[in-house]
Amino acid sequence: MSVDKSKRTYSTGAFFFLAPAVAVLLAVGIFPLIFAVGVSFHQFLLPKVHWHGNFLGVWPIYDAPLSWFQNYISIFQDDSFRDALSRTFLFLIIVLPCELVLGLAIALLLHKPGNELLKKICRVALVIPMATTFAVVGLMGRLMFDANYGILNYLWSLIFRSRPNWLADPNLAFFSISIMEVWQWTPFCALVLFSSLTMVPLEIEEAAKLETAKWWQILWRVQLPFLLPGITAILILRTADILKLFDVVYIMTKGGPGSATELISLFVQRIGFRAFDQGIASAQAIVLLIIATLLSRFYIKFVYKEI
Amino acid sequence: MSKLFCTLCAGITFSCLGLSVAEAWSLEEAAKDYKGTEIKVIFLDRPGYRATIKMLPEFEQKTGIKVAYEIVPYESTREKEVLDFSAQGDLTIALVDLVWLGEFAESGWIVPIDELQKKFANLTDPDLDLNDFFPLLLNAFGTWNNTVYGLPFDNYSGLLYYNKEMLKQAGFDKPPETWDDLLNVYGPKLTKGGKYAFALQSRRGETQSCDSFMRFIWPWGGSLLDAKFKPNLMSAKDQEGLDFRQKLEKIMPPGIVDFDHNEAVNALAQGQVAMITEWSAFYSTLADPKTSKIVNDLGIAPEPKGPDGRKPALGGFSLAVTTQADDKKKGAAWLFIEWVTSKAKAKEYVENGGVSGRQSTYQDKDFVAKYPFVSPMVESWKQGVPEFRPRFPEWPQLSEIIAEWGTKMMDGQTTVKQGSEEIDKRVQDVLKKAGYYDGKKTLAQ
Repeated sequence: MSVDKSKRTYSTGAFFFLAPAVAVLLAVGIFPLIFAVGVSFHQFLLPKVHWHGNFLGVWPIYDAPLSWFQNYISIFQDDSFRDALSRTFLFLIIVLPCELVLGLAIALLLHKPGNELLKKICRVALVIPMATTFAVVGLMGRLMFDANYGILNYLWSLIFRSRPNWLADPNLAFFSISIMEVWQWTPFCALVLFSSLTMVPLEIEEAAKLETAKWWQILWRVQLPFLLPGITAILILRTADILKLFDVVYIMTKGGPGSATELISLFVQRIGFRAFDQGIASAQAIVLLIIATLLSRFYIKFVYKEI
Repeated sequence: MSKLFCTLCAGITFSCLGLSVAEAWSLEEAAKDYKGTEIKVIFLDRPGYRATIKMLPEFEQKTGIKVAYEIVPYESTREKEVLDFSAQGDLTIALVDLVWLGEFAESGWIVPIDELQKKFANLTDPDLDLNDFFPLLLNAFGTWNNTVYGLPFDNYSGLLYYNKEMLKQAGFDKPPETWDDLLNVYGPKLTKGGKYAFALQSRRGETQSCDSFMRFIWPWGGSLLDAKFKPNLMSAKDQEGLDFRQKLEKIMPPGIVDFDHNEAVNALAQGQVAMITEWSAFYSTLADPKTSKIVNDLGIAPEPKGPDGRKPALGGFSLAVTTQADDKKKGAAWLFIEWVTSKAKAKEYVENGGVSGRQSTYQDKDFVAKYPFVSPMVESWKQGVPEFRPRFPEWPQLSEIIAEWGTKMMDGQTTVKQGSEEIDKRVQDVLKKAGYYDGKKTLAQ
């Protein structure tokens, strides 16, 4: 009897503690998602639809014609959408391993004993790129890679006596945005992996060091299992972030030259807020959400391991 | 005789009545009931708006109307306005780029001037005189389907800005008259030692579609769409113009597809290039010693002629009252638009860095002599094409397509022919979807 009572009390308490968070999540996360799914099944050209009040005071009603799956069919028939998606995956598979490898290298250096003051300074410095606003990173990229006045071309011309057009050449522009992405987010990987390394029990690490002097064997056999949860988190978060990467690229290249740097988020923004075709843009956003979710499941299934 | 006498008497009486009304009308008196009203508008960070901001205190003091403005980058302006109008927001005045006019008018977001004049007869300045605006500007910037919605406010024409000293050193005492001369006569002599003859702003966006791509269609006798509203880029004249643009690349700085307005203007201002074709609004930047090294060598001429004439770039904005505003705000907004585009304020607007669309402003020879950009600009407005860029609601979608494939053509990712075919195909899809080919929608322009 007393057990039942305590259970009930616990449940009621939990309900009141959780309810505000769930309500906020419903309002700011789930409701817009359901609305976007609804819009994706309509021919929703913003300048042509009109608002006709709210259903039950909550759900907005528009006079947009229902088009069922037409928007989904049309995006898969659109070469530009497929190109932008492929370009984004190419960006992802170039940038993410670079961030992970460089981040791991920094984490291992920070994990090495000694030079405590330098390591403290380094940890603070690592936060700076992450804390920099995306728009500022884009502007910095635009200035650094400027063909005439950029610092990069100044240094480059001293060595190679030439001035590449970083942002005007399709391949170099893609390379330039990749560099800025790696610059901004490698520190994040470094800090996550460094904190994972601190989880490795000291005695196990010291025992391993007595067994072998080869650092990669220690990394592979001792440290890696502790790094896997951090790596999984990095993969999930960075994949989701890269799929929605917008500000830096928009400011640096606006997706150009041509469509050389038009990642999927720029493409969706162009359809949604230039052409104002909210129906197609919502369908594209939903497809992206499904891709991000599937990739997350994939990472958890194949990378994540319980220690 | 008696009929003539009666007519004369009636005429004189009405004239006197008209005069007395005109004399009686004053901004302060008209605005009496609108004191304390706040109106909201979006401005750009460009000279015409900075000029208006300098003049605003006088308007606010005379009328008691508060003008709240927000400065927004051009690229975000349409997005911000469309979202505001769709959500029945708080913008009282619409800043209308000429290519947004069809969209704003057909969506019912802006109020026709006729309606305002009827509704607010006592607020309408008797000296409004729509005929005083350059006909091309009133037509292109403010008129849709024969209805005037907005008054020309921030007015541009494409001009050829050049460095007199660089031209002189290359043996030229005047700027090129034709595009052909610019490429074949001036180009080779001015492109040497790390300097270039010309720069054409071509960055992806409206800069590519309007400033770069369309500039090489009309002067060659081409057009984006034919008389039946079908895409026309594969026509011989369009192809000739676009091929010519490719040839210009050899006399332009490398990486021209990354040049926006600022880069092109800076290239001329710093003496890196000898000539650019840019909007009249950039005169104040090039003539300011703080931002330009060529103030004393700055020359201005109309854009060069193509095989089919000059047909220079045309761009600009009108101001219109939004339908979403309540009557009080509509009245206050109408007063502001009349005032800021009025004959009376036109000279002050120009003196502060703006470009007025009033013909009467430029009849004063002493005044015109102070502003060297005025004569070539007025000449351009006499030869401009209102449809330089289509003004129907689908233009923003077409602009995105042209911007993407236009830059691909320029940096060699595709040929002119392949790019044109791709643009034509995509443009046709957009127009078909909009209902132009199945009779659902009358052909615009």
